[in-house]
Amino acid sequence: MSLWESLKSAWQAIFSNKTRSFLTMLGIVIGVCAVVLLVSLGQGFQASMTTTFNNMGASALYISTSTDKAVTSVRPLTLDDAEALQDKTVAPSISVVSPTLSSRVTVQYGNNSANVQATGVKPVITEIRNYQVDQGRFITDQDVTARSNIIVLGYQTATVLCGTDNPVGKSVRGQGSKYQVVGTLQKMGGFGGDSYILMPLTTMQSKLTGGGNNVQQIAVKAVSSDLVDSVISEVTSVLRNRHYIRTGAADDFTITDMRETLASMQATLAGFSLFMGAVGAISLIVGGIGIMNIMLVSVTERTREIGIRKAIGAKRRDILLQFLIEAAALSLTGGLVGLGLAMLGAMLMGNISLGNTTVTPVISAGIVFIALGVSIGTGLVSGTYPAFRAARLDPIESLRHE
Amino acid sequence: MIELKNISKIYDIGDVKVAALNNVSFTCEKGEFISIMGHSGSGKSTMMNILGCLDRPTSGSYIIDSVDVAGMTDDELAAMRNRKLGFVFQSYNLLPKLTAIANVELPLIYSGNNHRRQRALAALEAVGIGKRASHKPSEMSGGEQQRVAIARALINDPLVILADEPTGNLDTQMSHNIMSLLVEQSKKGITIIVVTHEEDIAAYTQRTIYLRDGIIIEDKKR
Repeated sequence: MSLWESLKSAWQAIFSNKTRSFLTMLGIVIGVCAVVLLVSLGQGFQASMTTTFNNMGASALYISTSTDKAVTSVRPLTLDDAEALQDKTVAPSISVVSPTLSSRVTVQYGNNSANVQATGVKPVITEIRNYQVDQGRFITDQDVTARSNIIVLGYQTATVLCGTDNPVGKSVRGQGSKYQVVGTLQKMGGFGGDSYILMPLTTMQSKLTGGGNNVQQIAVKAVSSDLVDSVISEVTSVLRNRHYIRTGAADDFTITDMRETLASMQATLAGFSLFMGAVGAISLIVGGIGIMNIMLVSVTERTREIGIRKAIGAKRRDILLQFLIEAAALSLTGGLVGLGLAMLGAMLMGNISLGNTTVTPVISAGIVFIALGVSIGTGLVSGTYPAFRAARLDPIESLRHE
Repeated sequence: MIELKNISKIYDIGDVKVAALNNVSFTCEKGEFISIMGHSGSGKSTMMNILGCLDRPTSGSYIIDSVDVAGMTDDELAAMRNRKLGFVFQSYNLLPKLTAIANVELPLIYSGNNHRRQRALAALEAVGIGKRASHKPSEMSGGEQQRVAIARALINDPLVILADEPTGNLDTQMSHNIMSLLVEQSKKGITIIVVTHEEDIAAYTQRTIYLRDGIIIEDKKR
């Protein structure tokens, strides 16, 4: 009996018992749908994360004020701290020092307004973060020195405020001051999103955070990636010295290595994926048991048919294949339905909003093949025992069966 | 062409051994039309199962077309049933979900033949039921279903057709039609063996073998 014949007769058997076949498939449908959706979400999440880290500069170290409650006396980070880190004699391993200061602010243009993250930066930030100018220009050193009232708009902020107009040269109001837009930035994506504005660090200090010389965060980059450890010790010694921290006392600042964060996030994501895989596997096992159960019922119900087929010349292998293929086809149909539902679900979810970023589920060819392979496999595994039972039936007994 | 030599079939029922067939021997020639008669328990079903290669004898040899089938494996027996034998049952034994033509095609599927549809249609036409090819068994009368079963039995050009009470579920007129159809086939050179308990039916055949308690008590030519 050819494979094609077996497939045809399997399809007839499935189709002639629609309700039962559908209910039997349901386990596989749900299992495959869940696994595909979760994996595609995971992949979308991972893609988003990778973008974020690439934009942030994964090779940078971020210094910020300690939030540890055990540290009683905290000196805030200042622009002077940042300048001290640029001293090649005490910090030879550091190549880039980029201090930043952020605050939320509402900006207005005409009737449009947006509440966005405003960050005061120095031009050197482009060596840490992947800002690409879309229109106009970026912030320059002169802007910083002159405390110019200029801003650069993130992609989404530019769209929200000015729509399709070119924002460059326009005047935007924020917190009682007027700022001239000198440039817009390209879309970055990732978890940072594109809803932000940038201005010179000095302008930020005087206009939005109420004077002072404080900064929120200092990003530093090593001369080369193997010098990250020296960078950490140089930063520690320079800042402890400047903040008058006695020997034995704790640092009043923390240094975050983005690579560690990336590694820990990836580990979390891997754990998450494994967990989801396990949940999916359990639902597939349950689905497989359902198929085995219904195939056993089917073998009993069709004992006479098996007897007739054997009497007219079906070999054991023919009967075995017939039931195996039927189980696999049942499961594969379930898998296809599950896959279709997952694709529909992914499409409906489209872009899932997480704060100011989006995660787009990615259904790759790999997932599709694995999902279909696993559903056929589940069918074959759960169909094996019923198919053997069918193949071993005695033709005389089977013909007598009512 | 068919030769049974000292065939015995012994069933173990607990400690008791029951001989369903006890040292039975007979031969039949190509194109012979034979009936096997006997009361229930006489061994005619066992005889039919052995003749049909559905069961193996406990001892003795069974030769079809100069091949001894007594020692064959299950799959070899299946191939034998497929190529050399055709079955007609009292309850027709058609697959209810398949159309008449699909039922007739089934043996060809297992023997891997091409042009199945044409051959099956030709077989249906040969038994006078070509117009009902696309009907399912439930849409046909008993006589029609039995014709489909005969078409199925004929499809692989068998040497022997084994009919187990082929008219048991049919009225007199239908029985007559079916038996005439079988007579026609035997005239074409197919050996036909019918199991029955009705003398009227046996009267269509050329030779009747009477069984009692697993022994041939009479072998009568008409």
